[in-house]
Amino acid sequence: MLEVNQVSFRYPGVTTGWQFGFSVAPGQCVAVHGASGTGKSTLLNLIAGFLKPDAGSICWQGQAIHGLPPWQRPVSSVFQDHNLFEHLNVATNIGLGLHPGMKLTNDQKNLIEYNLDRTGLSGFGDRMPGELSGGQRQRIALVRAILRRQPVLLLDEPMTGLDPKARHTLRNLLLEEKARGVSLVLASHDEEDRKILADQVWNL
Amino acid sequence: MHKLPPKAPFSHQNWQLMPGVVLGLGLIALVLLGLGSLLVMAGQLDIGSVWRSPYLRGVVVFTLWQAALSVVLSLLFALPVALALARFSQFAGRSLLLRLMELSLVLPTIVAVSGIIGVYGRQGWLTSLISNWLPDHGWNLYGVSGILLAHVFFNAPLAARILLQALEAVPAPQLRIASQLGLRGWWLWRSVQWPVIRLILPGLAALVFTLCFTSFAIIMTLGGGPAATTLEVAIYQALRFEFDFAQAALLAVIQLVICGSLWWLAFRNRMQGSLMPNRRFGHPILLRSSRPQRWLGAALLGVFFVFLALPLLAVVLRGLPALVPTTGSSMLYSQLLPATARSLLIAVPAGVGAVLGALITVAAARKAHGRLVMAIPTVTSYLPLVVPPLVLGTGLFLLLRPSLGNTAQGWALVSFINGLMALPFVVQVLRGPFADLDRSSLRIADQLGVLGWYRWRWLYWPLMRRPIALGLAYGIALSMGDFGVIALFGSPGQPTLPVLMYQQLSSYRVSDAAGTGLWLLSLLVLIFVVLSAVGRPVHSGQAARAQSPIGEPRHA
Repeated sequence: MLEVNQVSFRYPGVTTGWQFGFSVAPGQCVAVHGASGTGKSTLLNLIAGFLKPDAGSICWQGQAIHGLPPWQRPVSSVFQDHNLFEHLNVATNIGLGLHPGMKLTNDQKNLIEYNLDRTGLSGFGDRMPGELSGGQRQRIALVRAILRRQPVLLLDEPMTGLDPKARHTLRNLLLEEKARGVSLVLASHDEEDRKILADQVWNL
Repeated sequence: MHKLPPKAPFSHQNWQLMPGVVLGLGLIALVLLGLGSLLVMAGQLDIGSVWRSPYLRGVVVFTLWQAALSVVLSLLFALPVALALARFSQFAGRSLLLRLMELSLVLPTIVAVSGIIGVYGRQGWLTSLISNWLPDHGWNLYGVSGILLAHVFFNAPLAARILLQALEAVPAPQLRIASQLGLRGWWLWRSVQWPVIRLILPGLAALVFTLCFTSFAIIMTLGGGPAATTLEVAIYQALRFEFDFAQAALLAVIQLVICGSLWWLAFRNRMQGSLMPNRRFGHPILLRSSRPQRWLGAALLGVFFVFLALPLLAVVLRGLPALVPTTGSSMLYSQLLPATARSLLIAVPAGVGAVLGALITVAAARKAHGRLVMAIPTVTSYLPLVVPPLVLGTGLFLLLRPSLGNTAQGWALVSFINGLMALPFVVQVLRGPFADLDRSSLRIADQLGVLGWYRWRWLYWPLMRRPIALGLAYGIALSMGDFGVIALFGSPGQPTLPVLMYQQLSSYRVSDAAGTGLWLLSLLVLIFVVLSAVGRPVHSGQAARAQSPIGEPRHA
């Protein structure tokens, strides 16, 4: 269970802040809903550890994780864009998720190949991100996030701006993860996303 | 609890911060030690003696005066050139002109001076031409006029490039609006150009002033006598010929105080923008220009091109016969080759050291928090510009003297000091690319645990290979052209290329000197060509496109 308890945060120099509180069980998806500027991305960045809360606690399975650095937290993030390292090819972008120094076993290499195939990107391993469409890039980002096998996925508008077909592929991947027991926190403007993926909707 | 990514080697953040802090503190300690050992040697420091001695008073006044005049002339030339280059972005030869301007940073002073002599000297092309028309023109290169000419030759292109960079950094929408409103002349200047130029002008003026204030080789070769002597040359004379450490220390302190307070003034309000041309240019936007403006711009850029190209052409044309003689084989090579070996032996370690130092300085600057810690990498990147290398060298020499005996150790010292002197320039080359990784990339890297060595290997190295090669080329080139430290510590019997050239020039073996100059120049071009080829990514086509959506960096 991911629990966000009374977490408050204020950007320096800004008078109004936010307070967040909710929980997600394994295999569940909470959709965070609200206009831009209501703190959706801030919330996801707090959980991922990119921002430090002013007060409150974030717990996973009863253990506090808000003091941990981002690389020790049980989460994987997918943002709306800029998920990929532009100067590294697709296989390396995914591989860094499996081992941060690219020391990959043959099984892991095959796993990357297999998942590229599975998402309709077979043979894309050597391509550079700059050559790909938005939908292809997001699929790669999601494949990397999934292959890290962390119990929580943080999704910040991952499907905004994509065509219907790409959205469909991504949704199916996410549903699979849910079925596997992964907790999802989804920030999305899109009604359909929420309807298909979310078990609870939380308005900011 | 959950799977943690494998830990990366050297991932503690102190690995990024501490080396740079240690380097910075070491540098400060070195300067203090160097200066301190001079002061101890000198015994009593009597500032009043400077004002009592008409010679020293003259030196200080002349140094200040020529530097101030050089700044004014360089900027007066550079500003219209930068404005014209910003306005006319698509003419044939623009990139050639830009490259010529880049060359000024690495062109060895002594080579440029020989070219300048070839054009403006007594038997120079231009002088002969004018003498035909005006026999009594009374022009004499040696003295103030030569010093100013050479300073403008070096600093106007540098200043113009920095100004151009500031002008091209104007946000595109703002320029589009200006273009749409048809802003011209005074209003364009007031609303768009002056605001960006005003930000970098103090720093730029301080930089050019420092470079001219501490100028050594130009004064040595073109000064033409005690009437035109700068502090740096006076320090050299005090150390080398008079063994008067007290005077050298005194002059060094004066130089430090003047340059230091100038930089303090310029940097008091945190400097905006970069002081070093970072070789990246934005997409220019067409601004309206009238016909006379176009003519004027073309004429100005033409004159500037000729001004920069003529001395280089003189070096090439005069050097060629010496290197490739039409009859028999050249005797020159028996001197050239050992000198080349010596130069490389000093310059390559200096360049490598400068790159390593710059990398850890840049990394520390990014990690540093708190005023005091942040000041350390900043000091590292500017202090070598202000401290006279001769003073630093002499101080260290005195400090290490009991154990410093043979030539090899002297060379190691020269190499070390040359590396230090190149550090500020290499830092400027590497700083921009190092900051290229955006925040979201860094966040992803944090989450994946791509830290420490892994971050360097997979994120920074592929991005920085090219800038590192370029920085290495700058570092090597600057040390290859050094004619300051080596003049003090080298022995005349074992010259490096610049020293050999100086010896040939001062013994009036003009054609040999020209040959050496061309040789040195070709060597530098070769270094830049080789290193920029090495720095290119393997799958250059794809990567280059993906990496630089803002426009290709243009390489020398």
